[in-house]
Amino acid sequence: MTLNRRTFLATGAAATATLGAPMILKAQPAEYVLGASLPLTGPFATAGQLVAPAFALAQKLFNDEGGIAGTPIRFVTEDSGYVPQNTLANYQRALATEGSALVGYFADSTGAMKLIAPELKGENARLMGSTSFASELANPETNPYQYISGPTYQDQFDILLQNIKAAGGSKVAFIYSNTEFGRDPLEHGRAKAAELGIEIVLEEATKPQGADVPTHVTKLAQSGAEHCILQGYVTGVWPQLIGGARQFGLPVQFHGTFWGMEKLIADRITAEAGPFLAGYQGIMPYRYFYDRADAPRYEQYAALSKVMFAGTPLENYMSTWAIQTMCGLELAMKALRDTAQAGLELTADNVAESLSGIENWDSGGFFGGPVSMVNNKIGTGRVYEYSPETKLFTPVSDWLST
Amino acid sequence: MGQFVQFAINGLMSGAIYALIAVGIVSVYKATKVVNFAHGYLIMFGAYFYFTFAVVIPGFEGAPAWLASWQPAWMVEMRAGLSMFSPLGAVLDWVANLPRIVFGLLGAVVCNALLGLLIERSLMRPLMGQSVFAMIMVTVGLISILSGAASLIWTADAAFVPHIAPNTPLRFELFGTMIFLFGADIVNMVIALLIFGGIVAMVKFTKGGVAIRATAEDQSTAYSMGISVPKVFSRAWILASATGAVAGAILATRNGISPSLGLFGFSVLAIVLMGGLDSYVGVLIAAMSVGILEAMTQWKMGGEWAEIVPYVAVLVVIIFRPHGLFGQKEVERI
Repeated sequence: MTLNRRTFLATGAAATATLGAPMILKAQPAEYVLGASLPLTGPFATAGQLVAPAFALAQKLFNDEGGIAGTPIRFVTEDSGYVPQNTLANYQRALATEGSALVGYFADSTGAMKLIAPELKGENARLMGSTSFASELANPETNPYQYISGPTYQDQFDILLQNIKAAGGSKVAFIYSNTEFGRDPLEHGRAKAAELGIEIVLEEATKPQGADVPTHVTKLAQSGAEHCILQGYVTGVWPQLIGGARQFGLPVQFHGTFWGMEKLIADRITAEAGPFLAGYQGIMPYRYFYDRADAPRYEQYAALSKVMFAGTPLENYMSTWAIQTMCGLELAMKALRDTAQAGLELTADNVAESLSGIENWDSGGFFGGPVSMVNNKIGTGRVYEYSPETKLFTPVSDWLST
Repeated sequence: MGQFVQFAINGLMSGAIYALIAVGIVSVYKATKVVNFAHGYLIMFGAYFYFTFAVVIPGFEGAPAWLASWQPAWMVEMRAGLSMFSPLGAVLDWVANLPRIVFGLLGAVVCNALLGLLIERSLMRPLMGQSVFAMIMVTVGLISILSGAASLIWTADAAFVPHIAPNTPLRFELFGTMIFLFGADIVNMVIALLIFGGIVAMVKFTKGGVAIRATAEDQSTAYSMGISVPKVFSRAWILASATGAVAGAILATRNGISPSLGLFGFSVLAIVLMGGLDSYVGVLIAAMSVGILEAMTQWKMGGEWAEIVPYVAVLVVIIFRPHGLFGQKEVERI
């Protein structure tokens, strides 16, 4: 074939179409995808099923706001059964199916985050949030693409111990589930307690489910603890421990961390077993959903919930577990939007850089004031106390930071 | 010494629940030679039935008020002025809940027995005469079916149920140590031991029990002696499911309701192997031993070891006595 001007232009156009079009498509997919694994079955299905509707709400809200620089987003959620290997498989499937349109992922456990971390390299790397507050993950050096949408469990222990000290407490017990989740902040807690001059009189590991409550309560009674921090539980064990201690008349002040602070669970316990959670305190990184006076973003959620979840319990209340997920998605969206606004491609490296650069972010009410991402976490929270009469957790401290 | 007694009693209370769970596995094995891997999930169903009859149905709009909470005038009068955690208050709370507790237990036992019968008729009986291995595999498959069905019917929501007995604390001094016990746990232990004893007596002294023992010895001979082996199969499954319902209700009062209740069956399976798959007495001793060992390990070594030490003991027993403490040795002739 002789190359004249016409054939040169035709060949050039064809080459551009073949080579260039995918580049354009890669930069501008018709929609961006954010994947998620949730424990819709298995031991934490209670939490997973309460969190799942938040993704529908987030998709509607973010798309109404213009998605990411005008490109709509879509969430793809799958069940993991709370098995980290399943979450990894779900992530790999999302990568294979969605390719470069997949710009973020939400995992459902510390175990899953750790399992996926080594896979986040090169083309397979994506920004990744999760339900976890594991201290180990808050390290941009080792986990540049993973972040925590609040304080780590170590931070939560810090805040609780500070609050115990401020209340004049001097003897504390740590009761924790015999899991990675339960053990996470122990070592740090020991160091912090020593620094504050608080004596740890008992460290007691329990089964995560079906614990031998009489034995644990007996040990707590014998320890002479004034305060007891419970760590590593979601729906079970912690209520039974508190109930057992109250039946015995132990005057111990109990404190929980994020996963033991859900109003729905506290209300159900109160309805069935009486008002023994009176005075139960714990750390919550976010405002509760009913505390919306200074939370314009919550108001938007509430308005959408009224329409999207009409006739269901979700119509009026968003669980703390769903709020944590929403906060994680808001952070991911901010990082993605900031990256797009800067005219950069939404690669994991660019988005992770945007995320770690979040400073003085007005979250719309999740936290007490503007917050910054430091070491891929937001180390702030407030201590709340439950009242069986009002069935509300109300703040008993200012916003505390680490 | 006082502390030793305290933790020994705590261990006995856990052990009695293990025994009640284990009795169902032994009953089915004795009659059918099938190790029921799904027994934990039958227990979970029992717990959910208890929840349904003791919490959900009394909460319906049309349900009589006395079923949800019986509050006669004399009780309201007695209740007034009592402090939140007074022992008398705990007893009165229990009396108020008594109608729904009884309704819940009856409903759970009946519904779980029917479920056991359904499983036996639809899944086990068609396999009679086939290899026992096939039947065991069916029980493995049953785990997924039961756990999936429970999620569909009751969702995965965590919920709480009323105690079967008043949870009044008991305190007394022994060897200079103050001993603490929960009233509900003591009653649970007594219920578990009574049911266990009743089943053992039934198998030993009644006609139906003799039929189970004969079938366990040799199905063909039992058939030829006029024993209805299918009926024995049905009875064993009904018995296991009905006792499982009570075990499930007790577990639910201790741990709340959630799909993870099904997992209890697996830890109890190890206890059954330790005691001997076909020995009620062996299983009772094994359950009590594991319960006490767990409590002692928790006391002396902490919770990190409490899940390991008792099961190491189980392994040691199985190594030296492969058929368990009191299990019957089987001689296979080739």
